[in-house]
Amino acid sequence: MSRIWRSRELLVFLLLIVLLLAVGLINPNFWRTRSLMHILNSSLILILVSIGEMFVILTRGIDVSVGAILGLSAVILGVALNAGVALPLAVLLALIVSVLAGMVNAVGVTFLRVPPIIMTLGTLGVYRGLMLIITGGSWIETIPTNIKFFANWHVLGVRFFIWVTLVIVILTTFLLRRFKKARYLYAVGDNEEGARLMDIPVKKTLFAAYTLAGLFAGIAAIIFVAQIGFVPMQAGNGQELRAIAADVLGGVNLAGGVGTPLSALVGAIFLTAVDSALVFLKVPGYWNNAVGGAILLAAVYLDYRVRMAVAAQQRQARAAVRKENNHLNPSTSEEQT
Amino acid sequence: MKAQAIKWIKTWEFGLAVLLVLEILVLGAINPTFLNLENLLYSTSDFTHILLAALPLTLIIITAGIDISGVSIMGLASITLGLTWVAGVNIFIALFIALGVGILAGMFNGAFVASTDVNPLVITLGSLFMFAGIAMGLPGLLDALGFKAYGAAGFAAYMYEGISGLPHNFNQIAHGGIGWVPYPLLIVLIFAAFLGIILHKTRFGRYLYLIGVNADAARYSNVPVKSTLVTVYALSGLGAALAGVVLTSYFTSARSDLGKEALLTIITVVVLGGADIYGGKGTIVGTLLAGFFIGFLRQGLLAMGVTSDVVPVVVGGLLVVVVALKLFITTYNQRRLNQQALRISEERR
Repeated sequence: MSRIWRSRELLVFLLLIVLLLAVGLINPNFWRTRSLMHILNSSLILILVSIGEMFVILTRGIDVSVGAILGLSAVILGVALNAGVALPLAVLLALIVSVLAGMVNAVGVTFLRVPPIIMTLGTLGVYRGLMLIITGGSWIETIPTNIKFFANWHVLGVRFFIWVTLVIVILTTFLLRRFKKARYLYAVGDNEEGARLMDIPVKKTLFAAYTLAGLFAGIAAIIFVAQIGFVPMQAGNGQELRAIAADVLGGVNLAGGVGTPLSALVGAIFLTAVDSALVFLKVPGYWNNAVGGAILLAAVYLDYRVRMAVAAQQRQARAAVRKENNHLNPSTSEEQT
Repeated sequence: MKAQAIKWIKTWEFGLAVLLVLEILVLGAINPTFLNLENLLYSTSDFTHILLAALPLTLIIITAGIDISGVSIMGLASITLGLTWVAGVNIFIALFIALGVGILAGMFNGAFVASTDVNPLVITLGSLFMFAGIAMGLPGLLDALGFKAYGAAGFAAYMYEGISGLPHNFNQIAHGGIGWVPYPLLIVLIFAAFLGIILHKTRFGRYLYLIGVNADAARYSNVPVKSTLVTVYALSGLGAALAGVVLTSYFTSARSDLGKEALLTIITVVVLGGADIYGGKGTIVGTLLAGFFIGFLRQGLLAMGVTSDVVPVVVGGLLVVVVALKLFITTYNQRRLNQQALRISEERR
C-alpha cells in the first residue's frame, strides 16, 4: 500500500486532478464531459508513442527516432490508401514498416553496439529523409474517408480509438506484471551485467524493446492519419521529445528498470491537459512549450528533493537504531562497525 | 621522433583531416568551382552556426553530459537581439544582451545538472521546450509588461514574421570579412582556439575529462565539480547564442525559431569528431574538422543535384556507420592485443 502512495504515477495523477479542478474553477466549461473526453482523445497518439518509448527506457536506452517512425508509417499508410490499397492491407503495411524501422534501431544497438542515442539520432535523420523522398516533400491530402470513419466511430458512447488505447494500456500493464519475458526488460535495465549472469537473453530483450517502440509508433501513426485526415510533412515532428517528457513526468526512470504503462498514460494525459487548460485559461497557444518544459523540470526537481529527503530519513533511522544497539550492547556493535 | 609521428598518424583527428582533404578533392573533381579557395571559404558561412554550437557541446559531452537545448537558445538569443533593438537599444549593445541571455540560459542548465542527479538529457529536454516557448512568448510578454516598441502594433507584431530591417553594420557580421576570410569563420576559429586552450592547456580542462571518467572520484579529489559544470554549460549557452546572432545576421532577420533543425547535425559533428557520448573523450580539433567535413558534405551533395531531403539520410547514415566502424576497430584492436599478450606469456612459459 505504501508503495502505491509513494509512486510517481499517483503524484502526477493527483497533480492532474488539481490542475483540472483549478482550471474548472476559473472556467466551468472545462469540467464538461465533452472537453475532458476531448483531452483524452487528443492524447491518444502521445500515450501510444510514450508506451513504446517506455519499453526502451526501461532497458536503460533511449529512442529519439519514434517521432520519425510515426511520420514514416503515416506516409506509407497515406500513400497506400491513395494508391487504392484496401484499408486493412494498408494498415498492415504501415505497421510492418514501423516494426522494420524499429528493428533497424534494434540491430544497431544490440549487434553493432552503437550507443542508443547515436543510433536513433542517425535513424531519425534517415527516416525523416525517407518520408520526404517518398512524398517528394508535399503533403498527402485527399485520403479516402473510410479511415476517417474510425476516428469518429463511437462505441458505447466513447470513441473507438479510446477503447483501443485503453485495451493496449491494460494489456501491456498486465503483461509487464505477469509475463516473465516482459520482466526481463526491467532486469536488463536495472543491471545488464547481472541479467546476463542470470542467463537472461539480454540481446533478445533489447531487440524486442526497440522493435516494440517502432510498432507502437506505427499504431500511433494509424490513429494520427484517421484523426487528422491528411499527412503533413511535420507529422510526428518532436513527438519523441514529448514522449520522453511524458514518460519521465509519469515516473519512468531514464536510468532504467523503473516505470509502467500507467506512467506513460498519466504523463501523456497530463502534458495534453496542460495544453487544453491553457486554452481554457485564455493563455495564447504559443506558451504551451514553455509551460510544458517548466512542468517537466519542476516535476523532476520535486522528485529529486523527495528522494533525497526519504534517503536522509532512512539514514537517520538507521543511525538511531545503531545508537540504541550501542547503548544496549556496546561490545557487539563495535565489532560491527 | 618516428614513434611519435606514427602515434600522431594513428589519431582520430588525423584520420578526419585526411577524410576532409579527400572530400574536398573528390567534390572538386566533380565540380571544379569547389576548389576555388574564395568560394570554399565563403561557403562556410552556411554552417558556422553548427560549429559554434558543437564546439562547446564537445566540452559537455567530455563530462559525460549532454545539452540538447542549444537549438532553442539560438532562437531565444535571436529574438532577444531583435526585440531589444526594436525597443530602441543600439544593435551592438543588443548583441551583447543576447549573448548574456544565452550564458544565463546555459547557467540555468548547468546549475540544474550540478545540483541534482537528474539525467542531463531530461534537464535539457525540459529547457529545450522552455527556452523555445519563452522565445515564442517573449514579444507578447514584453507588451504585457508595458515596454514600448517602435511602431503602433507593439512587440507582438514581430512574433511570427520576425524582425527584419536590421542595421547594415550588423548584417555585415555574416556577409562581410577580412580578405577572403568571412567574419563567421573568423568567429568560429577564435572561439575554437579559446575553447581548445581551455580544454587542453588548463587545469579546468583536465577536470572536465576527470568528471567524465568518474564524477565521484573527481568529487573526492577536491575537484570543484559544481562550478566546473555550471561554467561548461554556460559556455554551451554562449556558443548557441553566438550561433543565433550569426544566423540572425546571415538571414538579416531575427526569429524565435532560428536553428530549430540543427540538433541532429550538431550532435553528429561532435560524435564524428571523436567525442565519446559516455564521457572522458573528445577534442576541439576533432569537432572542428568534423564540422567542416559535414558542412562541405552537405554542400557537395546539394551541388551535385541531390535534393536537401536526402541530406539528413546521408548524415544520419554516416553517423551510425562511423560509430559502428569505430567500435569495431576498437574491439578488433583490443582482441589483437589480448592475443599478443597471451602469445608472449605462453612463450615465456
